[in-house]
Amino acid sequence: MITALYILCRLMVWLLLAPLLPGIINKVKAWVAGRRGPPVLQLYFDLAKLWQKSVVLSTAVSPAHVAGPAVAWVALAGAAMLLPVGSAGAALSFRGDSLLFIYLLALSRFCIAGAALDTGSAFEGMGAAREVSYAVIAEAAVITALLTLCVQTGSVSLGSMLAPSAGAGAALLAAGLFGVLLAENSRVPFDDPNTHLELTMVHEAMILDHSGPPLAVILHGAALKLLLFSVLLTETVLPLGSLSLLQAIGALFAAVLAVTVVVGLVESLLARLAFRRVPLLLTTSFLLCLFALLVAWKGSKP
Amino acid sequence: MTPGWFLSLAAIGIVVGIAAAFTAPRLWLSATILGLGAAFVAAIWILVSGDVWEWQPDFYIGGESLHLRLDAISAFFLVLLTVVGSAGTLYSSEYWTDKDHPASAPAGRAWWNILFGNLGLILLLANGLHFLIVWELFTISSYFLITLHRDRRAVRAAGWLYLAASHVAVLCLFAFFACLAARTGSWELGPMHDRSELAPLFWLALVGFGLKAGLFPLHIWLPSAHANAPSHVSAILSGVTIKMGIYGLVRFTGWLPVPDAAGWTVAALGAISAVLGVAFALGQHDLKRLLAYHSVENIGIILIGLGFAMIASANGNPAWGQLALAGALLHVWNHGLFKALLFLGAGSVLHATGTREMSRLGGLWRAMPWTAGLFSLGAVAIAGLPPLNGFVSEWLVYLGLFDAVSSQGAASFAAIASAILLAITGALALACFIKVCGIVFLGLPRSESAENVHECGWRMRLPMLILAAACLAIGLAPVLFWPAVAAASAVWQPAWAASPLPAPLATLGAVHLALAALFILAAVALWQRVKHNGLSRAGTWDCGYAAPTARMQYTAGSFAGIITGWFAWILRPKRHETLPKDDFPTHASFEEHTSETVLEDIVEPAGAIVMRISSSVRRLQHGRVQAYILYLLIGLAALAILVAIKVVK
Repeated sequence: MITALYILCRLMVWLLLAPLLPGIINKVKAWVAGRRGPPVLQLYFDLAKLWQKSVVLSTAVSPAHVAGPAVAWVALAGAAMLLPVGSAGAALSFRGDSLLFIYLLALSRFCIAGAALDTGSAFEGMGAAREVSYAVIAEAAVITALLTLCVQTGSVSLGSMLAPSAGAGAALLAAGLFGVLLAENSRVPFDDPNTHLELTMVHEAMILDHSGPPLAVILHGAALKLLLFSVLLTETVLPLGSLSLLQAIGALFAAVLAVTVVVGLVESLLARLAFRRVPLLLTTSFLLCLFALLVAWKGSKP
Repeated sequence: MTPGWFLSLAAIGIVVGIAAAFTAPRLWLSATILGLGAAFVAAIWILVSGDVWEWQPDFYIGGESLHLRLDAISAFFLVLLTVVGSAGTLYSSEYWTDKDHPASAPAGRAWWNILFGNLGLILLLANGLHFLIVWELFTISSYFLITLHRDRRAVRAAGWLYLAASHVAVLCLFAFFACLAARTGSWELGPMHDRSELAPLFWLALVGFGLKAGLFPLHIWLPSAHANAPSHVSAILSGVTIKMGIYGLVRFTGWLPVPDAAGWTVAALGAISAVLGVAFALGQHDLKRLLAYHSVENIGIILIGLGFAMIASANGNPAWGQLALAGALLHVWNHGLFKALLFLGAGSVLHATGTREMSRLGGLWRAMPWTAGLFSLGAVAIAGLPPLNGFVSEWLVYLGLFDAVSSQGAASFAAIASAILLAITGALALACFIKVCGIVFLGLPRSESAENVHECGWRMRLPMLILAAACLAIGLAPVLFWPAVAAASAVWQPAWAASPLPAPLATLGAVHLALAALFILAAVALWQRVKHNGLSRAGTWDCGYAAPTARMQYTAGSFAGIITGWFAWILRPKRHETLPKDDFPTHASFEEHTSETVLEDIVEPAGAIVMRISSSVRRLQHGRVQAYILYLLIGLAALAILVAIKVVK
């Protein structure tokens, strides 16, 4: 019972903090552009409003259109529970949970893409096709990053894999995972969250026909995913496991904030890529992770 | 009552079924299912008790005494055969009825039981000669099942290709068993680890059994045979018969010594099959052909696990070898279950719409909610997503690979490559199955054939439900199925016998259970919220276009286009296009299809060269008697010279 409460409390912290990140990114973008920008808490207001709104469903859709976002959201929240926080460890940890983490992200992708195809819209088909195609390279990069950590620590559980720093290859791994973070969360230069042209969108194209509470769930899930990847990136680089719990939490907050600001800066300073270049950039991220793996291999050999 | 008692009951059921096939379809149905049920009980008995059942009567066939043996490995495959077999049997009683197919249905029932009898015997026989005979009978009976609908040209071509490829496999196995018998002096099969001179025979077994299993590049027969067979037959072909190839490999790598390179080769072939199988699947527009290529992919995943188990067994690394083997074995079950489910689902789509072409389907969930739901469950399972069974076995294989990596031994680099390729395979399979579900079941009907459809009846629905329930059960409670896997792996490598449960499997099951409950809860809660807030319907957003038609929906080809572009070097898609010309273009068309590259670009050209050489030799045969007499004289003269110079005595 106490364990359940403990897990629930940690989950609530994740769920409550997640919508902050897109707000910070937007604020950074506004500052760089010399605007005042929307308040940092804007997404919270949007979500609260969407949750109250009535829903317009396409005449073509099946129950999967509503069930998909719900399942995807639970999968992302479940993945969040597998990530450790410093010496406190993860809410749920077992041997091989790192693989469950990857596959829960994949499940959420499956559900969102399914909900998109449900509308029969060609735009949403395009968005879903791009999402699942680019994810192939992104997933290869993430598994390579996990293999690096596995070589480093000799463990397959996120709790002990993420406790120490990634060592000599940390910079390479950070660069690789940052690329994956941008791609998986549909940020510039892979995708533009602010675009309004259906033909050129990825994530936004998939949710064109969603409205009301299902849209709120999707948006909150997307924010959660951004937080997930930021925490994963931070914990691979920083040796949070060796700090005291308070220090670790402080460092984690600071580092996630830094990652978010960098995402905002990238978004302000870079233009998005042409679609045919996206796989090249993602492959670069994969190669960075692969080089990190080689560095880790050399470093750990007695 | 012993396993033998149940097995004889099974034999009676199968034989009664053959007798009743032509005249009494109801008796056939109940006898076959009872027989399979009895075999299931015998297999479970062996798996639970860990005994070996042996029977060697004083009965000789071909000069060799009959010898049947049911151990845990045989029982493991027998369970799959009986479960998928009974589902397929029930399904076929509605899918391939006497009314629709008066000519082929009775013969189909008879061949169906003959196939099952042979499959069961292959698992039981412990004599090389009898194994070969039954293997050939199994090949032939599946040929007749594949070509049940043989008034269609494509079916005859597929059957012919299957027969040719299978006989290459039979030839290799003939050589394998003959060499084995020649070197050991007996046709009896059993553990022979101390005979290291037998190791090179493994390569013959790999080609023979690999052809049957459909591993890349020996899979050339598989897509057309699985696509053109009736769907209940496809389910058995994909779910069970290609696993006989895996059974052969598992059986003989467990009994015989293998060369040093064997494990590495199997793992490498597995990784290639996995990635290229799914890449070819993405290029397909034919629903059943697509599923057939996924068999190549999943056989690849099984072989990655088996290959690493062989490496571990050779180098004495029990810890991760055991995980890899457990993953491979469990994936044999899992693939059998979800692939049969998917083929039965595809059959019910074909039954309702009359087409396998995905670009003509769409929106089927409205009329066929059961098929759509169960097919989608199978899709989630085959894409290896939690909380279903596909993830459990892939997770075990991954754990083995990761442990191999962190052990930093000789296998680490291979394990790194395999793990990355396995992840790529998983992501590609996800892309492929979201494409299938989205194009076939969601959206709007793309043609008339997808409009006026009906759901299948309960005798087609119940088998799918059973298979789906099995997928769900292995996903949610993997611990229950672990003893079977452990028993089979203990027979394969007795040194790993005292295998404790790999601890996290129970946790994984609990997490899966919690996730499944939360998924349902969240979906229901969100739907309640939507209803509470109020709900209205409108057309899909189409950018303000005034006259949308269902044909404007995204197609299967476009959906997979990005990925098939990456793999164009091997898929070699063929394009036929008529571009719009003139100021007022009247006609334009575009068509692209991915054919079987290995078959069309390697096997067929090679065959053509052989034919050309053969036909030039044929000029010797022309019917002029004078020339034949000349050949005789030349031959005699040559012989005389050989004798004269004392080469021949």
